Amino acid sequence: MSLNYIILRNLKKNIKNYYLYVFALIFSVALYFSFVTLQFDPAMDEVGESMKGGAAIGASSVLLVAIVAIFLLYANTIFIKRRSKEIGLFQLIGLTKTRIFALLSAENLILYFGSLFIGIGAGFVMSRLILMILFKILEIDKLAKLRFSPEAFQRTVLVFAVVYVLIMIMNYTFIRAQSILSLFKTTSTTQGLVKKMPLWEIIMGLLGIGFIAAGYYVSSQLFSGKFTGMNGLMLAMIIILALVIAGTYLFYKGSVSFIFNVIRKRKKGYLSINEVLSLSSIMFRMKSNALLLTVITTVSALAIGLLSLSYISYYSVETSAKESSPHDFGFVMKDAGANFVQALDQKKIGYTVLEIPTIRVKLDLGEVLESSKFPDNDTSLEATVISDSSLEGKDVQPGEVMITGYTHALQSMLKLRDSGEVDFYTKDGVIKQQLSELSEKPVLPYYYGGGVIGVFVVDESVFQELTAHQDPNLQNNKPGSWNYRGIMLKDHSQVKEAYNIYLEQKPEFPSFAQYEYEINQRTNMGLIMFIVGFLGLTFLITSGCILYFKQMDESEEEKDGYTILRKLGFTQGDLLRGIQFKQLFNFGIPLVVGLCHSYFAVKSGWFFFGTEMLTPMFVVMAVYTVLYSIFGLLSVLYYKRVIRESL
Amino acid sequence: MVIMQANKIYKTYGNKFNKQEVLKGIDLQVNKGEFVGIMGPSGSGKTTLLNVLSSIDRVSKGTIEIEGKEFTGMKEKQLAEFRKHHLGFIFQDYNLLDTLTVKENIMLPLSITGMSKKEAHQKFDQVSGELGIHELKDKYPAEISGGQKQRTSAARAFVHDPSIIFADEPTGALDSKSASDLLNKLAAMNSKRQATIVMVTHDAVAASYCSRVVFIRDGQIYTQLNKGDESRQSFFNDIISTQGVLGGVTQ
Repeated sequence: MSLNYIILRNLKKNIKNYYLYVFALIFSVALYFSFVTLQFDPAMDEVGESMKGGAAIGASSVLLVAIVAIFLLYANTIFIKRRSKEIGLFQLIGLTKTRIFALLSAENLILYFGSLFIGIGAGFVMSRLILMILFKILEIDKLAKLRFSPEAFQRTVLVFAVVYVLIMIMNYTFIRAQSILSLFKTTSTTQGLVKKMPLWEIIMGLLGIGFIAAGYYVSSQLFSGKFTGMNGLMLAMIIILALVIAGTYLFYKGSVSFIFNVIRKRKKGYLSINEVLSLSSIMFRMKSNALLLTVITTVSALAIGLLSLSYISYYSVETSAKESSPHDFGFVMKDAGANFVQALDQKKIGYTVLEIPTIRVKLDLGEVLESSKFPDNDTSLEATVISDSSLEGKDVQPGEVMITGYTHALQSMLKLRDSGEVDFYTKDGVIKQQLSELSEKPVLPYYYGGGVIGVFVVDESVFQELTAHQDPNLQNNKPGSWNYRGIMLKDHSQVKEAYNIYLEQKPEFPSFAQYEYEINQRTNMGLIMFIVGFLGLTFLITSGCILYFKQMDESEEEKDGYTILRKLGFTQGDLLRGIQFKQLFNFGIPLVVGLCHSYFAVKSGWFFFGTEMLTPMFVVMAVYTVLYSIFGLLSVLYYKRVIRESL
Repeated sequence: MVIMQANKIYKTYGNKFNKQEVLKGIDLQVNKGEFVGIMGPSGSGKTTLLNVLSSIDRVSKGTIEIEGKEFTGMKEKQLAEFRKHHLGFIFQDYNLLDTLTVKENIMLPLSITGMSKKEAHQKFDQVSGELGIHELKDKYPAEISGGQKQRTSAARAFVHDPSIIFADEPTGALDSKSASDLLNKLAAMNSKRQATIVMVTHDAVAASYCSRVVFIRDGQIYTQLNKGDESRQSFFNDIISTQGVLGGVTQ
């Protein structure tokens, strides 16, 4: 039996055992290759107009490599431990460590570079699909072409060759550091002895839950006005992160076993098969995997959170474009829109013009403010006021004032009561008005302070009075006359045509096109979403694989237990039901914790990203959950095999 | 009263080109309340015999009945059901679940049969008292000694009052003090509860606690010894001399 024969035999056996590892390897190569192909694709230049798109993808490809490299190295530690007996055996029959290392390297070389080239092939096909998805997200009408990029090929081979070398170094140090005896013991030392639960673990468990709850609480207060200034916010965010991460760690280390122990105590020793297989096993396992699970939970929470946020902004592109410019086009200078309107006439594009006179006024919100965070209790500020006659279908009574453009973001920064007195300061005195309504609906572009303080609407008579006694100093803060002219197209489908005219004319600032906001937002957020989604997917698959590998190990360690249980008269079906129950917790707990984390993270600041939180967030979470469950199912299938073979 | 009846059981391994006959037509009858030892040299088929008798392995030919129920033709699911109610096991390496406490391990067979909690606790108290491990009930297997583990394993075998208990080298991993402790307990359970025990062993001392010893050689029953009214010491001498005749090297 030659060495080559052994290598081939090992390879055949390993591919069967480690198909998921090989699959994950192929998949990550494919992802990386198509990602880099995208970076070098000339079509990318269109995405970001400049090289922005390519650069963003380039930067995130570094992150991608980091995720993949860590995953491969980690998976390798699991697998080399599994093979420690085999390595010990080779040593016993007289192979030198160098020989064994050569053997492993050769075997890995075939496995690794085999998958590398399959992965590149798959990535080549996939890159077109991915480009198509990207174009679809960015709403670019262009056909994605299949293009093989030699640069991408070079880079992929180089990067994965480096990872291969790292793996080999790791294997070498592993083999070097082990004696024959310790090799045989590796598997038995990794599983800690099962002992009673000490008091400190109970304390740790309670602390873990407490920390997480505290972190969630602070996150819900993040933008409520308790933390002001950049430093305050920063500090609060760091506190949240620290609390939640430490809490998560303690949760896995103590809380899970603490909770399960309480349930178990209640049973007084009379456990059903489901409890035997799930409760008692998870109680002890989760503890030893605490660090790994914390990392997985935190990063997946991060991925879900970022993905949710970018999807939220992508999802609410239209509404946020309306917030920043409520009309299709808007001009501030009196005559600025004239050319544009003429051009529209020429092209026979129907439109209506809304003239909205505005005025800057100093006012005091004093009574209306729910919580004051103004320095020295000076609650006066400057805002734009318009007349109710400028708004169709709105009638504000004399003596009353309505605040529009009071968006979600504004609501969280500046809590207002829905009634109270608002004082307008004029040159000659104070006009007092009662607040009658708060409205999210934007009426003027952001330029006029919507989203920062909102636009105030008063009765025509009050508006006249304010104009008569206006403070000229305030009016001069911004260039141009304060008359706003909004243009609404009669037929919204002509917006592209109109926008082209707008672009040709390149009117001077301040002038606004809703469509421009929409495109910019869609391109930026679409690209971010795409990249985060890509990274998230890679992370999801790698972390899912790691959990699966862990379960593979666990199932083999527990095989003896299944033998006993089957001898006692439990059927395969009974055991499998128990295992399903166990996997529900094993995969479910990190998933639920991760989802909770991301829910609170998104909830604390989503309003800066868009106008709709629940739908996009749930879509992201649902997709993540479905993909993640696949690994749970795979592990159940693996257990099924182990159970079948256990008797 | 006959509790187990095995008729002409054969067991072959391998395919038709490379056949190895391990059991060659064994007939065995065990009565209720008997403590039967099975002895024989290495490779004689003791463990295979125990495996087929206890439904863990299937016979190639022949029938086995326990309490009048023929189980050689049963399906996997029926077999599990059968084991659940009729059989108890004690293994050389204890086979306790590490993640369960002593009490939980012992009560496992009761939870399959769906016994009421109150009754289950009573059974546990009784059997753990008899085997002297009651005060260990909240400990984990890693925290107790080998002898205690084996008594826990025995308690698990007895707790659901099975028709017959199979023990595979139960003293194999124990020191002589723990071994004689366990065997005394087994013998006491045998006489007190009228529990039927079939035990495979290498050890003549262990075998001398039995009421009958069956010697196996080359897959067939070579001879049987009955203890009758003999003292344990003289039964032990008989066993040793039979072993000498048997020619196999013991241990």
